[in-house]
Amino acid sequence: MTKVQLKGVRKDFGSFTAISQIDLDIESGELVALLGPSGCGKTTTLRMIAGLEVPTYGHILFDDDDVSEVPVQDRNVGMVFQRYALFPHMTVEKNVMFGLKVRGTPSGEIKQRLEDILDVVQLEQFRHRFPAQLSGGQMQRVAIARTLITNPSVLMMDEPLANLDTKLRGEMRRFIRELQQRLGITTIFVTHDQVEAMELADRVAVIFDGVLAQYDTPEALYQRPNSVEIADFMGANNIFDAQVSNGVAKTAFGDLQLDTDTKPVRDGTGRVLLRGEAIDLLLGEGEASQNVITGKVTAREFFGATVNYTVDCKGETIIVNEQSRRMVDVGQDVWLTIQPQRIWVIQDAA
Amino acid sequence: MARRQIKTALNTRLSTFQKIYLLLIAGFILGPFIPLIIQSFAFRWAWPDMLPSTWWLEQREKSLLPLAWDYVLSPYSRVWEATINTVFIGSVVTVICLAICLPAARVLAREKFRGKAAFEFFLSMPLIVPEAAIGIALLMIFISLGLAGSYLGIIIVHLIPTIPYMIRMLTAVYQGLGRDFEEQAMILGASRWQVMRLVTLPMLLPGVVAGALFTFLVSTNIFLLTFFMGQGKIITLPTLLFSKIAGGTLDASAAGITLVVTIPGIILLLITERFIKEEAFGKGFGN
Ligand SMILES: Nc1ncnc2c1ncn2[C@@H]1O[C@H](COP(=O)(O)OP(=O)(O)OP(=O)(O)O)[C@@H](O)[C@H]1O
Ligand SMILES: [Mg+2]
Repeated sequence: MTKVQLKGVRKDFGSFTAISQIDLDIESGELVALLGPSGCGKTTTLRMIAGLEVPTYGHILFDDDDVSEVPVQDRNVGMVFQRYALFPHMTVEKNVMFGLKVRGTPSGEIKQRLEDILDVVQLEQFRHRFPAQLSGGQMQRVAIARTLITNPSVLMMDEPLANLDTKLRGEMRRFIRELQQRLGITTIFVTHDQVEAMELADRVAVIFDGVLAQYDTPEALYQRPNSVEIADFMGANNIFDAQVSNGVAKTAFGDLQLDTDTKPVRDGTGRVLLRGEAIDLLLGEGEASQNVITGKVTAREFFGATVNYTVDCKGETIIVNEQSRRMVDVGQDVWLTIQPQRIWVIQDAA
Repeated sequence: MARRQIKTALNTRLSTFQKIYLLLIAGFILGPFIPLIIQSFAFRWAWPDMLPSTWWLEQREKSLLPLAWDYVLSPYSRVWEATINTVFIGSVVTVICLAICLPAARVLAREKFRGKAAFEFFLSMPLIVPEAAIGIALLMIFISLGLAGSYLGIIIVHLIPTIPYMIRMLTAVYQGLGRDFEEQAMILGASRWQVMRLVTLPMLLPGVVAGALFTFLVSTNIFLLTFFMGQGKIITLPTLLFSKIAGGTLDASAAGITLVVTIPGIILLLITERFIKEEAFGKGFGN
């Protein structure tokens, strides 16, 4: 159990700045996701924590001790690489034992821990195979076992699920989550899939272009992103310009009453974010009481469990997402309504 | 065993066209050896006979002079001496070449630096400039250094054409290796030496073996540079062979020497073939 802190960390590669400035506190036992588009510096951040890169400026602290200068071998971290990096010339067993062998652990203890870990990742029957003879999911479990057997104080995973198919990805996600909770090991994993980040992580650090854009719980990130870019990245599609005054947002399709008690806003310009699933779609005007927007359905996308309606409201397009318990036809006039506390206003910092 | 594998492979997997194609290639490669072998056992073989009219063994008892294989195997031919020299020089060149090229290839494969492209270009120069030009130029220098006619001199000149090949081959292998494996090993707690011994070398092995084999074969086949630097004091199989065929005819004893010249290479090929298969590929590395 180790607390990890990055303080004013910057990384330059020659004249190119990969990370301009990152401050990050990861509590002991926490599972944190580094989320961001390709090339934003996620892997670089991970590599600095592991000790494979030295920060140009700033410090990395494990349990309040500065480890910036500690060589990789002595940091006692674990890292699962994106392409697993299993040693192709060693069997599963040899791969898994590698970390203990090079540390000179007594062979009796190695045997014991090998059995334990193979049991955890359920790879006993594959122990004598070579990596080339394993499936993607099996290789990944070997990579995880090889890392966990050394009892690392921090576990890092670089896009651990990127190479797996959808079904296996779900399985491995649960497997990782369960394992992490059981062992209580501080874990940092990289992903560019926001769904994966939200499902797995206690907190998510969103990185854009080498800058930490927001560091929050998945729920906060989803409901209360602090910039349009983050909202966008988290899959929001209803973002509109608005003029805010006295707790009311004026938009092109009408006025929206805000809940200023729980979410204070400043008067002035801003953007309102309406989550598609927070909007109720009504077929008659009478039922709605507050924040009513009139419009017409112009398209319907059916996803099985849910359905998306594209609604044209005085020139703006609002996407409404609901359970597919009913089907509303294209061309139908509808009334949209949203509760004040479900509206999030994004404003530039004062 | 290897032959059986090839046979089953031929029977089970290949189409008729592929089989014919393979046989043609085999014929193209092995074809030139057949007349050589026949020649070496011939006493008289004149055009337009398909086979020699008189064989070596028939004449053996009658002739006063040693013939063909008798000559090749006798001390007068100096074949034994030349073979030892060739193998010795080839081995030393290979080891030195590896020691120089492994670190160089690592840098070339992994680092970016100014002038890298130019450096890579200059590396190929010895392959482009005719050997004779290099040989003459070096001979002058080596004579003044007192290296001409010494093993050291020959070994140094052999490094000139072999280093470019070796570096290219090892660079490709290093590029294929990627940093991940070594970094992973370090994270798992391995020291630099452990990383080298347990991860890098075993993974580079097929490339290293191939590069070493190639270097050895090139070294054992270099004629001109060896001829210049050896100054007739040190003979190797290629220079010996040249002195036999310089007259323009390939008689039976020259054919015999030619066959002897190929032996070190063939033995080495067989050894490395087995070695590469069993050490690396046989255990699921390549398949
Ligand atoms: N060794 C290096 N030398 C120069 N530039 C580098 C180096 N490593 C990374 N970079 C650059 O730093 C930036 C961040 O790279 P990084 O690998 O951290 O991205 P990432 O967020 O992991 O992206 P991805 O999701 O594609 O893996 C990229 O623009 C990359 O080109
Ligand atoms: Mg990456």
